[in-house]
Amino acid sequence: MSVLAAGALVVARADAPAPILDAVSFRAEPGRLVGLIGPNGAGKSTLLRCLAGLVTPQTGAVTLDGRPLAALPAPERGRRIGYLPQSFQPAWDYTVRAVLELGASRAPGALSRVPAALDAHDLTALTERPWSRLSGGERARALLAAVLVAEPPVLLADEPGASLDIGHRIDLLARLARYARTRTVIVVLHDLERAVRDCDRLVLLDKGRIVLDAAAGVVAASDLLDTTFGVRFTRVSVIEPDCPILAVNRIA
Amino acid sequence: MSVIAGRPVRLALALLACLVFAACAGHRWAGPLDLARAVAGDPDLSARLLVAWRLPRILAAGLVGALLGLGGAIFQGVFRNPLAEPYLLGSAGGAAIGATIALLVPLGLPSSLALGGLSFAGAWAATLLVLAVAQGARDTAGLLLAGVAVAAMLGAVRSFLMLALSDESVSLQVVLSWTLGGIQTPTWAGLGLLAILVVLALAASLTLARGLDLLGLGTDQAAAFGLATDSFLRRAICVGAFVVAVAVAYGGLVGFVGLIAPHIARWWVGPRHRALLPVSGAIGAGLVLVCDGLARALLPPAEIPLGLITAAAGGPFFLVLLRRRMRA
Repeated sequence: MSVLAAGALVVARADAPAPILDAVSFRAEPGRLVGLIGPNGAGKSTLLRCLAGLVTPQTGAVTLDGRPLAALPAPERGRRIGYLPQSFQPAWDYTVRAVLELGASRAPGALSRVPAALDAHDLTALTERPWSRLSGGERARALLAAVLVAEPPVLLADEPGASLDIGHRIDLLARLARYARTRTVIVVLHDLERAVRDCDRLVLLDKGRIVLDAAAGVVAASDLLDTTFGVRFTRVSVIEPDCPILAVNRIA
Repeated sequence: MSVIAGRPVRLALALLACLVFAACAGHRWAGPLDLARAVAGDPDLSARLLVAWRLPRILAAGLVGALLGLGGAIFQGVFRNPLAEPYLLGSAGGAAIGATIALLVPLGLPSSLALGGLSFAGAWAATLLVLAVAQGARDTAGLLLAGVAVAAMLGAVRSFLMLALSDESVSLQVVLSWTLGGIQTPTWAGLGLLAILVVLALAASLTLARGLDLLGLGTDQAAAFGLATDSFLRRAICVGAFVVAVAVAYGGLVGFVGLIAPHIARWWVGPRHRALLPVSGAIGAGLVLVCDGLARALLPPAEIPLGLITAAAGGPFFLVLLRRRMRA
């Protein structure tokens, strides 16, 4: 049970007129899949990187179970917080096994879980395949497996599956949702339909501030969503929970 | 480690073949039987020369090559770039200044001590200067730029020293010859010290293996997987600078080996550094052994500078590499 909290985070760049994050406070606990949504430049990825300890805020602090993240030694932070980046391209052509072993190397005993992790993410047949010869979906699964093989109590994912087709994206989010049953999982999403369907709680960000933080259904129904994105959404009731919506002007 | 299973034997045999070739090559070629007789204690003059002169030299060549291969693998891992080479951070320029002073200024020290000591100190000092200019090791692009800038300045200083310090009694050709690389026959004590330094360098570099592997995932993902990237990069650069400084002190500026050896090693055992580092060292040793043998044997009685041979062989290899990279 790990609680990740951010208190009054401010991140600013000297060459930018407004802060990227402006006094953002936030708290996430296990058991609920939390989605960070907002338009481009809202500060979602920066907030996630702050929570992962990859960006140090100018003011404010991130705490993990009450301990400041900045005070945690890097290996302990790596063990306790899993981070799934938006894009990932290794410099060397590692095999799938190598990437998982490197992910496992951050937690004692995790190396023995590599075969099970390969199996759980349908990667067993690809174990010795180099990264350059994997498809986008296979890479996404392999990276997720490398992050999860150490079983971090906190998982932060930045637009996972943004480059994947709808089938792979649904599969990836389902894996994250399963993981969130017992762990703290925060995921940045651009796909609002998937965010509303898959997340339990949504945090709407705009211009570096949290505009709304509520249950997914509440956020979906709020006019703030339309205002923040500058569009008018049509809300539809989902009849088949597992089927994505395809909106068209006219069906031939 | 299944990737390299069964390969150590082949690597050892290849290295042994390079060693035998280097021992046979020279102004006068020796046969393997001559070698065996010389090692067994044949009192003949040519056999004694083989043991007293050629053997320590080829052992030094192998050890210098091992350091260059090791240094190349470390710096390619640090910069996550297969085109990185060990002299990137100014060590070549610094060592050349040290060697220029040692060769042109009468210091009252034994020449081998002055040359080795000052070139080691120069290589090390230049790397520290690059680290200071780049304000640490966090920004590898900044480090590269600082390395280029410092190397240019050191080159200018060296040229000035060469003009200012040379006279009729000291030939610039001596300095030029050193910058082209070449293994001098060391004393057995010097060889022993070099062997100890190589073992230390290998041990220190193996402690970097996991960190270099993680860096290969990118600095963000390495940090997310628990690597303290800033302190690790500083440590890796210091180990790499030490390795290169020792190589330069014993062998002058030998180009391309540190670039090529990690590539061949990566093709052979893959990119994981626990295997890559020692194999790159072994391949570097083999390359320098062969090139040093050719340097002694191709133009008797003259000796071609080792750096010319490695450049002549390495240049085309580098171009092929660039071509493959551009295609990719």
